[in-house]
Amino acid sequence: MKVLKSLVKKEFLQIIRDPSSIIIAFVLPLISILIYMYGINLDSVKVRIGIKNDDANPEIATLVKSFGHSKYVNSVVYDNIRDITGGIEASKLKGAVIIPNDFSTRLSRGQSADLLIITDGSDVNTANYVQSYAMSIANQWLMSSKYKYLAQTAGITPEIRTWYNQDLNSHYFILPGSIAITMTLIGILLTALVVAREWERGTMEAILSTKVRKIDIVLGKYIPYFVLGMMSMMFNVFICVGVFRIPFRGSLVVLFGVSSLFLFTSLGIGLVISSKLKNQFLASQVSLGIGFLPALMLSGLMFPINSMPVIFQILTRILPPRYFITFIESEFMAGTVWEIVIINSIFLSVLGLILFGAVYQSTDMRLVK
Amino acid sequence: MYTVEIKNLVKTFDKAKAIDNLSLNIEKGKITGLIGADGSGKTTLIRLIIGLLVGDEGEITTLGLNPVTQKEELNYKIGYMPQKFGLYEDLTVIENLRLYADLKNEPYDFDKLLEFTVLSSFQNRLAGALSGGMKQKLGLACTLIGTPDFLLLDEPSVGVDPISRRDLMKMVRDLISPQTTVLWSTAYLDEAHSFDTTIVLDKGKVIYEGKPHDLAPTAQEFENKIIDLMGGYKKEKSLIAENYIPIKTNLSCTVEADNLEKKYGDFYAVRNNSFCINRGEIFGLLGPNGAGKSTSFKMMCGLTKPGGGTARIMGIDILKDPAKARSNLGYMAQKFSLYGSLTVRQNLEFFASAYGINFLNRTKRVDEIIDVFGFGAVQNRLSEDLPLGFKQRLSMACALIHNPPILFLDEPTSGVDVVTRRDFWNHITSLAKKGVTILVTTHFMDEAEYCDRISLFYKGETIAIGTPDELKQKANANNMEETFITLIKESEL
Repeated sequence: MKVLKSLVKKEFLQIIRDPSSIIIAFVLPLISILIYMYGINLDSVKVRIGIKNDDANPEIATLVKSFGHSKYVNSVVYDNIRDITGGIEASKLKGAVIIPNDFSTRLSRGQSADLLIITDGSDVNTANYVQSYAMSIANQWLMSSKYKYLAQTAGITPEIRTWYNQDLNSHYFILPGSIAITMTLIGILLTALVVAREWERGTMEAILSTKVRKIDIVLGKYIPYFVLGMMSMMFNVFICVGVFRIPFRGSLVVLFGVSSLFLFTSLGIGLVISSKLKNQFLASQVSLGIGFLPALMLSGLMFPINSMPVIFQILTRILPPRYFITFIESEFMAGTVWEIVIINSIFLSVLGLILFGAVYQSTDMRLVK
Repeated sequence: MYTVEIKNLVKTFDKAKAIDNLSLNIEKGKITGLIGADGSGKTTLIRLIIGLLVGDEGEITTLGLNPVTQKEELNYKIGYMPQKFGLYEDLTVIENLRLYADLKNEPYDFDKLLEFTVLSSFQNRLAGALSGGMKQKLGLACTLIGTPDFLLLDEPSVGVDPISRRDLMKMVRDLISPQTTVLWSTAYLDEAHSFDTTIVLDKGKVIYEGKPHDLAPTAQEFENKIIDLMGGYKKEKSLIAENYIPIKTNLSCTVEADNLEKKYGDFYAVRNNSFCINRGEIFGLLGPNGAGKSTSFKMMCGLTKPGGGTARIMGIDILKDPAKARSNLGYMAQKFSLYGSLTVRQNLEFFASAYGINFLNRTKRVDEIIDVFGFGAVQNRLSEDLPLGFKQRLSMACALIHNPPILFLDEPTSGVDVVTRRDFWNHITSLAKKGVTILVTTHFMDEAEYCDRISLFYKGETIAIGTPDELKQKANANNMEETFITLIKESEL
């Protein structure tokens, strides 16, 4: 115990004196959250579209006005089709709506009227947004206009309600998800360097000739970085909930409980990398490769796992971030759902224990070369 | 009684035999010196004895235990100081001591150790901020905690000045009990001569085992005998110098330091440093660790900006035209500063192009250098895998590749075996005869004798300058080591 205590204390002293661990634990998450908050936005807020109205009927002017009032699009009125084409070509406009001159005439006759919606197909996502926003604005206008009897003949009008994230604000799930990504990175980066550093500086060789046991070396690395990692986690949650007001509907106890299981897996990955490679530079490269990229691409945060090729779907099952992201998104947005908590905790614990075993296995008590 | 008994030990790395059917006994209660050329297997042997490595064949018994199966028990009884000393540079002196005391399950009782290491007043300094000599003392102190039965020191005195080396030796002798066995690997033969027993290794085999005094009564003769044992050194014409094309100049001072000064905070690392080196002169910069030699070096070649004063290389001011001044210079840094993941040939090619040798002449020049330095057999090996002596030779080759009129060598022979050292100095003196101006630092006092003039440097200032004989006379001493110690002590008064 004395040996372990001493190793832990030593590691803490090194953490305090080495600014890089502090940077990894606190500055990196801050930067990452800021990027996810302000840089990445999956919502298509206020796309700019052009409108040209060829129908002189004053009733139709209210349709143009409702485009102007929409909180989803930013519409600019044009008189001239050439300017609209130019605007789309220059990417100043993401689309356009053109109201033909017989629009009101046809409506008054009870005929179906055409509305031309132009979208920029080079950006499919935005094109879809423009199309659906434009259609829904037009439909809403129709319902409130004097032609509303026309819409009634269409029968049932669907009313859409999105659960958990009524505002469809992607920050609400992206930011908690980003915590998972940063925690992966932190857990792996913090530990990937520390064992390799001891080998490179020759301190490992000296320690191995004292009374340390293998378990001391392994725990002597796990414990300090676990504490630092949990502090970083609290900092992350504070920034998201306290500063950026991301709604949190779950329980903090459950959140930190499952987070600690997740951190346990991340630290394990880092320690395996470090113990195997014994070289700081290689270890940091590899940890970005195995830690960060799969966490970002394959965890289900950015791309739904269901739409991945089967082989990748299978691969995601051994990725700890996958389980943590599922958990943290639901914990933030839907509150504690015990089914989700328990299943993901089991997977994380199993992975964590397997990794701990791997760390123990790959910790060398002798030199190889 | 033997502390270590080894029978028919074999250890192979990638098919190369590091230890080749070696049998050996180490007597209890004696200090045994382990010497041998670079790559002769000294470090491997030490690591095998304490179970840090496992041999392929043969038997080892250390303190009655089998280091392969009983390593944990063995660890309780030994003190091992690896070549890199095993200090945590971001912990303070006292934190390092406490850590090692805990790891050995010993109480915090450092009074005696701190007194001997003279580190009492530096207890709260980070180990990384200590000078080389002090780091070594701290490393030794950490190893000595818990009074081990068997002390193994792997080249503890590499790169340490004569005063610190004496301190180190005194520490070991005073702090161990008469029953303690010490295995001390060293490149300093005067050190080895003062031990009880000597083991000479060559290519993984023991080529001599016995009392150093049986081999030769004095350290100087001992060195010659050891060289003979290692296959002898035949002084040949230096091909490196033969191939050197002299550069004509009328300058009287090819290298000139003009009031160089460097201040870190309130502390002068170098102050009022002025000297003039003539063409073809070997100028030695001597001084204890931390005296400011390397700082002076770096300022002279434009790697560090001087706080005051300047230096001129072939008459070119290093501050005004650093690139042109440097093109006249070959610099060999103290640390191995070549690309470890490049082969010997690739390193040479890189430096040839970095020094501006054009493509057509490059291959020819590299072939020539490989030939002259005897790199033929290792030219396609990664430089990080080479033994230290080869690395140093490669560093020198890279410094010489552009045929510079001036060479700066910062501890070129640190950690290099005695035969390689002689070979090195043969090249250095031959190059000087051809007109190359050489500025060199060293901790081997016998090497100082090769210098035409010496500047003795201490606490950032020159305390004496002159030929080796002048300095000896001034200190009223017989050899350079005594001269060094006397003059430093006098300047302290």
